[in-house]
Amino acid sequence: MDNDNRRASRRTEVLSNHLLPRPHTTTTLLSPSNCLSYSPPELSSSNPVSFDTSVMRSLLDGHNLDDRDWLFGLIVQSPLFNRQERGGRVFVSVDYNHTMEQQREETMRRIGYLLDRGVFRGWLTGDGPQEELRKLALHEVISMYDHSLAVKIGVHIFLWGGAVKFLGTKRHHDKWLRATENYELKGCFAMTELGHGSNVRGVETVTTYDSRSGEFVINTPCESAQKYWIGGAANHATHTIVFSQLYINGGNQGVHAFICPIRDSSGNVCPNIRIAECGHKIGLNGVDNGRIWFDNVRIPRENLLNSVADVSPRGEYLSSIKNVDQRFAAFLAPLTSGRVTIASSAVYISKIGLSIAIRYALTRRAFSMTPNGPEVLLLDYPSHQQRLLPLLAKIYAMSFAGLELKMMYVNRTPESNKEIHIVSSAYKATFTWNNMRTLQECREACGGQGVKSENRIGPFKGEFDVHSTFEGDNNVLMQQISKALLGEYIVCQTKKQPFRGLGLEHMNNPVPVLPSQLRSSILRSSEFQLDLFHLRERDLLGRFVAEVSQYQAQGESKESAFNLVSPLPCFVNYSFIDSLPYSLYVLPELSSCRGLGQSFLRTSNTENLHRGGVEGASWFIEGCLGSVEVVICLDFCG
Amino acid sequence: MAFNPKPDDDQVLVEKRSCARVIILNRTRQLNALSFYMVSRLLEIFLEDDGNPDIKLVIMKGNGRAFCAGGDVSAVVRDVKGGDWRLGAKFFENEFKLNYLMATYSKPQVSILNGIVMGGGAGASIHGRFRVATEKTVFAMPETELGLFPDVGSTYFLSRLPGFFGEYVGLTGARLDGAEMLTCGLATHFVPSTKLSLLEESLYKVESNDATKVSAIIDKYSEQPSLKENSVYHRMDAINRCFSRKTVEEILYYLEMEAMNNKADNWASTTIRTLKKASPTSLKVFLKLIRKARLQGIGQCLITDYRVVCHVLQGHYSKDFFEGCRAILIDKDRKPKWEPSRLELVSDRDVDRYFAKLDDQGWKDLELPERLNNLPPYVTSKL
Repeated sequence: MDNDNRRASRRTEVLSNHLLPRPHTTTTLLSPSNCLSYSPPELSSSNPVSFDTSVMRSLLDGHNLDDRDWLFGLIVQSPLFNRQERGGRVFVSVDYNHTMEQQREETMRRIGYLLDRGVFRGWLTGDGPQEELRKLALHEVISMYDHSLAVKIGVHIFLWGGAVKFLGTKRHHDKWLRATENYELKGCFAMTELGHGSNVRGVETVTTYDSRSGEFVINTPCESAQKYWIGGAANHATHTIVFSQLYINGGNQGVHAFICPIRDSSGNVCPNIRIAECGHKIGLNGVDNGRIWFDNVRIPRENLLNSVADVSPRGEYLSSIKNVDQRFAAFLAPLTSGRVTIASSAVYISKIGLSIAIRYALTRRAFSMTPNGPEVLLLDYPSHQQRLLPLLAKIYAMSFAGLELKMMYVNRTPESNKEIHIVSSAYKATFTWNNMRTLQECREACGGQGVKSENRIGPFKGEFDVHSTFEGDNNVLMQQISKALLGEYIVCQTKKQPFRGLGLEHMNNPVPVLPSQLRSSILRSSEFQLDLFHLRERDLLGRFVAEVSQYQAQGESKESAFNLVSPLPCFVNYSFIDSLPYSLYVLPELSSCRGLGQSFLRTSNTENLHRGGVEGASWFIEGCLGSVEVVICLDFCG
Repeated sequence: MAFNPKPDDDQVLVEKRSCARVIILNRTRQLNALSFYMVSRLLEIFLEDDGNPDIKLVIMKGNGRAFCAGGDVSAVVRDVKGGDWRLGAKFFENEFKLNYLMATYSKPQVSILNGIVMGGGAGASIHGRFRVATEKTVFAMPETELGLFPDVGSTYFLSRLPGFFGEYVGLTGARLDGAEMLTCGLATHFVPSTKLSLLEESLYKVESNDATKVSAIIDKYSEQPSLKENSVYHRMDAINRCFSRKTVEEILYYLEMEAMNNKADNWASTTIRTLKKASPTSLKVFLKLIRKARLQGIGQCLITDYRVVCHVLQGHYSKDFFEGCRAILIDKDRKPKWEPSRLELVSDRDVDRYFAKLDDQGWKDLELPERLNNLPPYVTSKL
């Protein structure tokens, strides 16, 4: 009976606790305690930095610092950008838990916010180097926040808008540019097809002219001709630039660009156009890439972007450039801006990855060196330093080189276009490959924390992997370099004129002589290193030209001669890339800042030796320098 | 050196209540405006207590109807006019060092803001861990109407207010009450003035410098006041739309659009009028300051503030500070003649000059002490 009573009263107690709130009993609050052996990187060393970091920042960013800070402020202060407050500090990055649809929606909302705040003003209607630099600066800030946002905006403003501006004429500018800046329409860029990406001249979309109605008719003749990977097309775009072969009176006039509406203002796909989704990607899922098929789509004659060539109302093809190759080159010259922005943003992403990894290495400890001693900071280990610091030095070099390229680009003239084309191709390829390598190293250097999405390095790998193949496949771009150098060499040789441009001026000087005694002080001097790079380039280029000419003399075409001398063109490319930035360094400016010059020169010299790397070492092994010492020294420093 | 016949000692009253240091600002006739003596004395007290394990908590309050109405800028102006501008700079140097110490202090500071808290008064309280507002609190950063700019590292905490409220508060010198301060984060708690003595008694009993325990004590007396109906905080959308713009001219333009679209509400037109009365140079300099500060730690903010204030005192580029003090504080005609007189006449280069180091022999950037040891986590995030 007692047991029953006890059970009953306990049961009653349990039930009444369900119905009545318990009075709050004061218990000791669980509060986080400071970590005993963790401290933030700011406090890890008592030596203050020897130079003014704000001066370094203005050297690295180079231009429009106030604009960048303003845009950072807009992003940080708005709830749309997923700001998180952690330990009193504010962080902004995308929410990695979101689905593809959510990401796309968010991206459009963020664009709307930035549009409202006037971020895009003047991006297309503005002119001149100052406006261009401001636009590039703001776009760099956006790409640091989120690649999807940058690409979604880039496709609309740089690709669609850029095509209208540089491939079109006044009538296109008046009709479309301001509307584009104000997002009254949404543009995309239909160049790539399922069967043709790098080889733009081989696109299979066909456009003919109907002189009776004064319209062009666009068609997708086969499955390989469908437009693929068209950013913005799957969900939102209302207009597109279509790249297609133009047939006039049965004759193929080559690739031309046309403006074609693909959706009406309510978002319904236009008749005769079929659009499909490209599907989930390894990154950039905030961009809705689409596939487009054209089925006798009719557009007015005025929609041909006619800065280079035109079609009269009667159907005559007119162009001031008679040579088809030259016409095509003039046509594509405006697309250089893509390579310039990609090279820049690859550098910024590497900077972010390295900052995260190095700061982490200044707080994380592992293993003690002495029994009962404190665990050692990762960055105090030479092996960890050797993984990260050469990459840091390299990124400084690339940062300045990229800045130089930007300046070349915004101040471009018709004469400088060829050089910009080669240098932008070289830098785009190098910097994007370097970015992937850097991110991988940083990911590993952060161990498990590198696997966590919120720590940014891992997602960057997926987001920016595409850098190496879009806007020109890196390997294809590199080939352009060796082709251009070959052409330049032969021209200068036959016309007996000195080398000018493409960083080849050093070839006009006598062959550099390397000292027979290679002491450490010589190995570390800029002059010696520069001589090494120049010697290598001179030698490789000479051999390349000689071997290609030999095969051509045997009856081979230039193209097959290139394949036959492989991998020599690759080595030529690398030697070009390695020596070019060095000759463009802003060393005089740096040495004017106390302390800055010293620190920088020390890191850059180490980095250059490192850059000699595999390719450099193999060159030396091939026998250009008999001294084994040199090989050992270079490998050691690298 | 300003010769003051009255003894200064009682301008700052200092008490010790078990483990709590109680500091009382006592210059009631000047609404507790911080004199050179007060700033030096406060710096002394804070430095001494920093290493003293018997002090776990600092409580600051003010006698009379103000907590602290600001730094005593009339005295600074007198010093500068009397001889060397560097005398005036010394005041700011000490004040900013005090602000830095308060922002990075190893013990929590509880400021009881039972009255006016403006300018330098904000610098002496907002950087501390806890700010207790009451129904009598009136907060403002009114420096732009004086030809100065919100200094004392205020750009640090203003830039971290929600959206672009910081730009609004700093440019217009808008007055905020206790409820608004709590809502935007300038105050950490709101306690009715009737409960203040009970609160202080409880605080004297604190036995550790653990901020969570101090917070729990203040929580017991705290309330959640509601915002008044026409509170400026209800206009955050408009504030964000206008004050996020890149330049002061654009801010004014969008305010005018706002005024046109909302004829029933006179908030926008009042704000425009206030901005037009302020020194154009001050407005542009502050806007650049707060945008930079958003991305910097407290030390860097104060170093930049010091550079700008030295340029202001040196007066090579503009005499607006002296004209503002004359019109508002001394002659009180409230009609300052700014030079340059219009925003269009102040170029970006003119503004940039204020941020450069001074080209004056012997001048150095503000030197802040290293604060490396046993700092609570909420402090290291500010560095």
